[in-house]
Amino acid sequence: MSTKEQQERIELLQGTLDLLILRTLQLGPLHGHAIAKAIEFRSDEVFQVEQGSLYPALHRLIKRRWISVEEGTSENNRRAKFYALTAQGRRQLRVETSKWERLAAAIAQILRPVGQEER
Amino acid sequence: MTRRKRMLAQLEEDIRDHIERETQDNIDRGMSSEEAHYAALRKFGNMTRVKEETREVWTITWLEQFMQDARYGARSLGRSPSLTIAAVLAIALGVGINVGIFSVLNGLALRLLPIPHAQEVLSISQILRFRGHGKRDIHDSAGYFSWSEYRDYRDHNSVFSGVAAYEPFVEATLAGGNARQVLGSAASCNYFDVLEEPPARGRGFAAADCSSAGANAVVVLSDSMWRTRFGANPAVIGKPIVLNRTAYTVIGIARPGFTGTEPFPSTFWVPVTMDKVLEPDQNRLANDNMSWLAMLGRTRPGVTLDQVHADLNVIAQRIDQQYPGRTTSLSIHTARFFSTPEERQFLIPASSVILAAFALVLLVACANVTNLLLARASVRQKEIALRLSLGAGRGRLVRQLLTESLLLSLAGGILGSLIACWSFVPLMRFVTTHLPGDFPPISVNVAPDLHVLVYALLLTICTGIAFGIVPALQCTRPDLNSSMKGDGASAVSRRKSGGVLLKALVGSQVAVCMVLLLAAGLLLRGLYYAQTVDPGFEIKGVVTTFLDLGRQGYDQPRATQFMAGFVDRLLGLPGVTEVAKAECAPLAHDFSADHFTLSGRSDQISIEYNHVTPSYFSLIGIPIVRGRNFTSTETHDAPGVIVTESTARRLWPGQDPLGQTLRESSGHERTVIGVARDAQVSHLGESTSNYLYYPFGPEDNARSYILVRYATGSGDLGKSIRTAAHSIDPNLSIDVTRLEDNLEAWRAPSRIVAGLSGALGALALLLCSIGVYGMVSYSVNRSVREIGIRLALGADKAGVLRHVLWQSMRPVLIGGAAGVILCAMVSGVLSSLMFGIGTHDPIAFVSVPCFLLGVAVLATLIPARRAMTVDPVVALRCE
Repeated sequence: MSTKEQQERIELLQGTLDLLILRTLQLGPLHGHAIAKAIEFRSDEVFQVEQGSLYPALHRLIKRRWISVEEGTSENNRRAKFYALTAQGRRQLRVETSKWERLAAAIAQILRPVGQEER
Repeated sequence: MTRRKRMLAQLEEDIRDHIERETQDNIDRGMSSEEAHYAALRKFGNMTRVKEETREVWTITWLEQFMQDARYGARSLGRSPSLTIAAVLAIALGVGINVGIFSVLNGLALRLLPIPHAQEVLSISQILRFRGHGKRDIHDSAGYFSWSEYRDYRDHNSVFSGVAAYEPFVEATLAGGNARQVLGSAASCNYFDVLEEPPARGRGFAAADCSSAGANAVVVLSDSMWRTRFGANPAVIGKPIVLNRTAYTVIGIARPGFTGTEPFPSTFWVPVTMDKVLEPDQNRLANDNMSWLAMLGRTRPGVTLDQVHADLNVIAQRIDQQYPGRTTSLSIHTARFFSTPEERQFLIPASSVILAAFALVLLVACANVTNLLLARASVRQKEIALRLSLGAGRGRLVRQLLTESLLLSLAGGILGSLIACWSFVPLMRFVTTHLPGDFPPISVNVAPDLHVLVYALLLTICTGIAFGIVPALQCTRPDLNSSMKGDGASAVSRRKSGGVLLKALVGSQVAVCMVLLLAAGLLLRGLYYAQTVDPGFEIKGVVTTFLDLGRQGYDQPRATQFMAGFVDRLLGLPGVTEVAKAECAPLAHDFSADHFTLSGRSDQISIEYNHVTPSYFSLIGIPIVRGRNFTSTETHDAPGVIVTESTARRLWPGQDPLGQTLRESSGHERTVIGVARDAQVSHLGESTSNYLYYPFGPEDNARSYILVRYATGSGDLGKSIRTAAHSIDPNLSIDVTRLEDNLEAWRAPSRIVAGLSGALGALALLLCSIGVYGMVSYSVNRSVREIGIRLALGADKAGVLRHVLWQSMRPVLIGGAAGVILCAMVSGVLSSLMFGIGTHDPIAFVSVPCFLLGVAVLATLIPARRAMTVDPVVALRCE
């Protein structure tokens, strides 16, 4: 991989993956591979997600009862585990989203170029 | 755990699925299948780490942390082995004693009966209340039932598969070469069926055995009776044995180990319908208002205690209707030894007092360990401060320290419990075999069971928390700055409060130890007094023979005739110099008392009395100091009585007792004809309580003691006395002892208690000296630098030593004083319990505190002297 490629891709911040999973599942239940694909696709492949790291995150969310897991059949008639948002998870998504927005706004505020400091 | 496993299995499946899909996508994009698979794996990342992380999500973290703490704790305990061993031993002593005592109490009061499915067997007793005036005949316990009441409950209940009744503690004379009294029970004929204890040989009772009163003389023997008396001969079944002059056919031998359902083992069982034959002076079967039968019921499967209550209460109310004004309340418990309400009322407070006393010892042990840990905590202060400043939570650190102290207490608790279980079984046997001779054998199973295990575990955990919590909180106080800097000036405040805590611990330890040691000292003094006391009469060279002829089927004329012949034969024996008869032998634990009124006074005075023949006074060496002795013709009808000197002084101060009159509670008037010298004939150590003598009458022959004085060197008198009795009646049960042995019965309890409390006191002393030593050496170690500075600045060594001694002796002195005061308050209770204990015995109260102080000074001196030898340069550099 070239240096350029590395610079363009961003490593995920701790905890951000949880938020992305919750957001992805808002559209409906999905299986693990589909979640990974969706996150990659929707971020225009900017996020460098090691696909495996998805799974500990999924289990963490199950333990917190924010998502549930059930057996289902996928598009090509293959059996798979489907992850779905719970009511609690939906609430959590709202909380996390607003938190993230505030964080992002605050960071943007700090990073905005200020006249005097610029040379 | 199952959920964890399920989730992890699911993960495997999910990962496989994921790789397959990714591979398929790659193939769709035009890769070869092998290339596609590797690309998928690459994209997935480190599979092992993914699994590891997911596994962590599902791990119960506190358990992991606990294991981690335990490992860490074990390592750090291993680093200071001497402290660890001292702490473990201290806890082992404390826990061991408590567990041992508990296992005895457990055997007495908590254990289920040793029969099959004992949890189904309920003991039923009743409490009768009367409105106005009610009357009830009682034999043994008011909670027992009459024969008719028992049959009502047995026949009309719907909750029991069977209800058995039995009269416990039936004494009978077993005839044979060596006739003697044996203890047994009279039981209903379903007894062995309800208890599910079919005899090991032969058969139990059948319903026909109880069909008519007094008709079926059959008996089941206990295994030990069969072995000791009949040489384990199976042919005894079907043969007759003679109990109280009636022949009973042996029909069965009980299972080895089955001795009935009372703490005093039963050696035989006869049908309850034989009661009138066995004890001819009573007719309990026909008395519907007589409490004499204990009742046990085996519940049907699935029946609850509430249902039993409801069902039996209906029957109780129906019985009550026959007795106007009477209300019955039933007390129903799972059957155990000692299950009647009266017994439990006594047992539970008594056992709580005992457990409390032993908990004191555990407390001393705890205080010790706390001391040791506090001392160590100061050494570890820096480590802990470092961890706190690196962001460790205080709760987490406290938990870790507590885990460590729990480890210690577990090790100590296990060791202590093992020692207790191993030593209390033989110890109990020692105590029961050293009880006074006339005390019935008692069967207590002190072997550990689930109760004991749970108790030991709870005690161990409580101990661990109790001794661990203070040091844990103390040394995790978030005052990082000063401890990081070391023992600098800013740590002074902490040092002070830590020191106060330590001193308070030592002080309370000394106080507890002082109480235990003083109690032991008082008891030992009592023991010494009991061994050396002079009872005030000539106790040596006298043999007593107890004869209960009434119980052995004699009526009064035959008893009188027997006695006349027996006394003649005794007087004819070689070496016998004098024979006397008395209702109670001196110090035989056999008392009679009545209420008397004096002429011209209304209050009632309780006076103990004895019926004696004229030769009694000269035989045991009590002189008649005024008036005259009885004559041999005087009997109960004669109006004269003899009082003791102190009784005379108390009743008629300043007057001539001769000719004074006393009125009995029955209304008879008695006149004083003589005054006898005081002697401790009734209670050892008590010669001045009220006491008077009546003349011996023929009525007393049915139950009396015969005293025989003999010249020294007259051979085996006991044997010739028995031969003399058996030459008149070969089936007589006769009991011959030396009068001196009666002293034994008074001395044995104080010997046992003094021995036990002495051992307890010694333990407390050991623990306490460890504590004082630990405290002092700790504080000396802390002030090594201070001492070094003082010495370097030219302080004289003796002065510094005095200072160190005074610092550490102060809490000892305060605690000791508190202990002395506490013990002075409780010694009144002790002296009322045990013979020969003075409330404020000066020797005990002076010697014990001196002893304890001496030990404390010694424990202080050793570390203090060590501090003196420290080189000032080393001391100053050591921080």
